[in-house]
Amino acid sequence: MEFSFIFSQFLSGLTYGMILFLVASGLSLIFGVMNILNFAHATLWLIGAYFCYSFWYLMQGYNFALWVSIPLAGFACAAVGWVTEIVLIKHIYKRELHEQLLITYALALIFADLIKIVWGPTDRLIARPPAIQKPVFIFGAPFDSYFIFVILAGFAVALGLWWFLKYTRYGHIVKAAVFSREMVGALGIPIPKIYTWVFTLGIFIAGFAGGVQAPIGSVNFGMDIAIIIQAFCVVVIGGFGSLLGTLVGAIIVGEVFSFAILYWPAGAMVLIFVITAAILIIRPWGLFGTPMRT
Amino acid sequence: MKSKALKIVFVFVALVFLVGLAGSGKVMSAEPYNLGVALGFTGAGTLYSKDQLEGIHVAVDEINAKGGFLGKYPIKVFQRDTQTKPDVGVREVKDLILRDKVRAVINAYSSAVAVAVKPICREYKTLHIPALSNSENITKINYSPYTFQVAPNTYMQAKAAVLAIAKMAKDKGWKEYVTLASDYEWGRSTQEEVVKELKKVAPQLKLKKEFWPRLGETQFTSFITSIMAMKPDFVYPCLASKDNVSFIEQAKPYGFFEKVTFAGGMVSVTELIIEAKTIPRGLVAITRAPFFAHLDVPMMVNFVKNYRAKYKKYPSDWAVMGYDAVYSLKQGIEKAKTIDTDKVKDAMKGLTVDLTRGKLRFRPIDNQLSCSSYVGVVGDDPKYPFPILKDVIEVKGAESERPEAEIVAARKAEQK
Repeated sequence: MEFSFIFSQFLSGLTYGMILFLVASGLSLIFGVMNILNFAHATLWLIGAYFCYSFWYLMQGYNFALWVSIPLAGFACAAVGWVTEIVLIKHIYKRELHEQLLITYALALIFADLIKIVWGPTDRLIARPPAIQKPVFIFGAPFDSYFIFVILAGFAVALGLWWFLKYTRYGHIVKAAVFSREMVGALGIPIPKIYTWVFTLGIFIAGFAGGVQAPIGSVNFGMDIAIIIQAFCVVVIGGFGSLLGTLVGAIIVGEVFSFAILYWPAGAMVLIFVITAAILIIRPWGLFGTPMRT
Repeated sequence: MKSKALKIVFVFVALVFLVGLAGSGKVMSAEPYNLGVALGFTGAGTLYSKDQLEGIHVAVDEINAKGGFLGKYPIKVFQRDTQTKPDVGVREVKDLILRDKVRAVINAYSSAVAVAVKPICREYKTLHIPALSNSENITKINYSPYTFQVAPNTYMQAKAAVLAIAKMAKDKGWKEYVTLASDYEWGRSTQEEVVKELKKVAPQLKLKKEFWPRLGETQFTSFITSIMAMKPDFVYPCLASKDNVSFIEQAKPYGFFEKVTFAGGMVSVTELIIEAKTIPRGLVAITRAPFFAHLDVPMMVNFVKNYRAKYKKYPSDWAVMGYDAVYSLKQGIEKAKTIDTDKVKDAMKGLTVDLTRGKLRFRPIDNQLSCSSYVGVVGDDPKYPFPILKDVIEVKGAESERPEAEIVAARKAEQK
């Protein structure tokens, strides 16, 4: 096989990995800090995609419509996330994990029905601006030009989160809360408020990721179910609560999937689940996670 | 003298009575022919259903301008929305039959609705003409002598697609292909059937690889680059409808369709018009009744002219089949020389009708019209403001319909 096609497959895997990272990073952040396994995360991601479509639809005469709609989708979703946290999530922090899963699963179903009511069951298509309608050729391999933006957006979110956690005061508080929320609370820091904002940030990333997804194919009902399982695989492989782990996990899943399709299409999904199961047995806290939690 | 006066009065009364009788006779013959149209006017079927209703109205206007069926029964259309739900479809059609006294009903958008409505029409002895939904089971099993199908059914379309691809492969010297099928029951069984049929009709073709994206796959990127790397002569997809749209949208920015021949499923004139700017050129597509394939038939030319005059647009496949449904009924009534439903039903059995798509026959075993399927390549034409299918291969009904023996066997199996 020609090098250009292997390289092209690598880029496909990287793109897929970045899309998964954008979904999984918010999921991992929320679980890492708040201990909430949010099953509705991908449904909020889908709502982000629909928001992006709506904003784009309102501004479609302008060339910048898509580029403005993507971050706007993030903010609109963040608002939904903020309300959800205050109304529902706040009350389930101390519940057992299985109860949280059931409640957030119910939330996913409620959001899915809301999507049907607001946007209807019809597929929504965003017409891309002319600049990103044609492929670019990298070492002779064709590549969707929009995916350059997807990869950059993925790395930008990774860098932004890393900088936030490492260099800002709030980042330090969030990191401290991962290890001992009682201690952080004892220092006079209002933990519930921090939680609300962490949840809102996580859902902002989900909405932004949904916006990034929107111009790739059509936005349709049920996309969330397809991606949530892979997002869970990513965080299990990388380690819940670890930003670097989520990034590495996402790239592993993306590349394994991509190359399996080239050589063994029938086994592409199987391989990902085999890796996930192996990690769960050998290193349950994931590649970059830490077994220590309080 | 008195008796003479009485005679005159008697003759006068008799004359008045006779004239009155003749008049009332005229009133009786002006009884309208109530035609029901129960389609999915809201929900997913809106576009196709509206198009079909327009086609029906053009036919009704033409026939009514000449006095109606048999020149004396003006057609009155009663329209109902099935909402693409079988229970609603059954309720609405029952209401059409009992309240509006329709003698025939054109129904439905969804095959599930048509299958549910069929026994109702049989029970109430009402003609049932599906001109949009095309599941083979509407006519293959649970046979109803009142149901007449004017669209090519699912079996005919699948067979036609394979035959057309085999012909293209022969003409263009294709040797290798890959399949891309949604990984679930329908995708697996359709792919298997296609591979089996292609082996029969084009044994020189080699299946290079099978791709199985999950049902509801959102990221086709890796599949796209893999297929491009393999450089097959063509791709045969069996993707569920949403997945097909996602794949096409994601493959476009790769320039996929300029490099690989993709047999992209059904693309009707509705999609060609609505997606005129975005639909990829070069896509190989199948459709059911494109007007541009039959501009050699005067009836089609006349229909396109009248339809454009009334609606200021070109008719879609769905409009063509709606128009043909009404004209099939007209010719059945003309053969029966009455609007009595049972006699019309008997007259339509095995009847050859003149339609926009040429001279076609209702096959006696299942009342399926021997209509063609059309496979072509999406491309621009200066004559139209939207792309059409070019190099159309018309696969005739006789080549694509299921052998009668198989239908007999299926009905026997059903009775067990």
